[in-house]
Amino acid sequence: MRAVLGHTDEFLRASGPFAPTPSVRRPTWWLPVMILGFAPIYGGMMGSYQLDSPERILQVIYAAVKMPLLLLVTSLLCLPGFFVLNTVLGLRDDFRDALQAILAGQAGLSVALASLAPLTRFWYCSTLDYRAALLFNAGMLTLAAIAGQVVMFRSYRVLIRRHHYHRVMLYAWLALYAFVGMQMGWVLRPFVGAPHIPVTFFRTEPFSNAYVVIAQLIVGWS
Amino acid sequence: MRNWLRQLDDLLRGRKTTPELLAKGQMELPLRTFVSLAVVLGLVYGFFMGWYAVFSRDPACYVQVLASMIKLPALFLLTLVVTFPSLYVFNALVGCRLSFAETLRLLVGAVVVNVAVAASLATILGFFTLSTTSYAFMILLNVVLLGVSGIVALGFLLHTLRRLAAPPPVIPPTVTSVKAGDEGEPQETNPAQREPGPMDQIPWDVPDQALGQARSIFRIWVVIYALVGAQMGWLLRPFIGCPNLPFTWFRQREGNFFQAVVHQIQQLLGAG
Repeated sequence: MRAVLGHTDEFLRASGPFAPTPSVRRPTWWLPVMILGFAPIYGGMMGSYQLDSPERILQVIYAAVKMPLLLLVTSLLCLPGFFVLNTVLGLRDDFRDALQAILAGQAGLSVALASLAPLTRFWYCSTLDYRAALLFNAGMLTLAAIAGQVVMFRSYRVLIRRHHYHRVMLYAWLALYAFVGMQMGWVLRPFVGAPHIPVTFFRTEPFSNAYVVIAQLIVGWS
Repeated sequence: MRNWLRQLDDLLRGRKTTPELLAKGQMELPLRTFVSLAVVLGLVYGFFMGWYAVFSRDPACYVQVLASMIKLPALFLLTLVVTFPSLYVFNALVGCRLSFAETLRLLVGAVVVNVAVAASLATILGFFTLSTTSYAFMILLNVVLLGVSGIVALGFLLHTLRRLAAPPPVIPPTVTSVKAGDEGEPQETNPAQREPGPMDQIPWDVPDQALGQARSIFRIWVVIYALVGAQMGWLLRPFIGCPNLPFTWFRQREGNFFQAVVHQIQQLLGAG
């Protein structure tokens, strides 16, 4: 446990094996482990909105499983495109480092989320308004996403120094990831678990598209 | 199969279009392999494109998947067949030194880059198809994904034409296009060890006339290919398959793409 926290501390400070220099040998398996370890902490806390029945414990477990799924499946879907675009821009030699940078970004996001988990629980203790709970979670996710980008940019700065096209790929990754991630979050609903709706892993209604829903809300487009 | 993948990888990494190879007039793009690659990669994108008809219809329309798989590579390759003679003639008129076979190889290479990028984005298309019922969204998403892959292929084509127009000096300098970062910090890797990509800038001085020639050929090609490609896409409809209409291999021939665009604009203005 102490080793885990020690590694995480080094990761956050970008020191030791996580220093953003190419010569350092870093354990590649550590970043996915951090995502799998820390993201469920926030997920579980997110699902603990209403713990008034034993059935609601299930929502905690579901949300804890879904949080790393959201991050990792989104990455998997975006990876083929990211790989080919990197190749066409002549950045294949750096692909290993680019992959580590995007994983580091998600590991940073997961650690930041886990650190925000007590705040979410505190918010749930203070108010039982469902909309307020959703908005608070959106705020926490945005905050953690910013932290993740800081970590990712730290690794990417080294790559951009090697070739200026890495900057294009950084923005391309962020655009792809945000576009797919938003829909993935929508498909994996419910995370918080609306009161008066039975606990389910996926919503019972058929899948829908987040962007179409937003467009309908704004202009009534269908 | 492994040979195909290696050839595709070499093309995407720019090993087939290095300035040195182009200067020697060696465009090592075996047509049979690369046309097959264009077909296979087109099939992959078409497969995910056609899924919409499976998930949006009851009963599922599997024939549309087959139709999309055939139509997507056909769109790119038939457009090339129709436009190639004119592309070659204008290319020769402007004074490019590409031979007939080399011009064809270069264009097939650009088509392969286009469908390869599109196929790599097909996982995203597949995910959205699974979770979307809106036909309008699927059309927009396909336009965006094919648009992105088209832009990448155009970048590849333009950079290759520039390399062709400006052959390397007799003793090529070892410096590649790697630039220092904004912070002006020292570079960590020796740029000479880096393999230059297909879209890296040419590291030596290029006369403006040569660049102007490459640009003119590029513009003429893009205009001809895009105009014919748009109409070819219109002829081969439906690609995705409107869920309210029964399956057909081809829609009834009604005007052309450009009339339809003007008609849509007129309707929009009339409605506004």
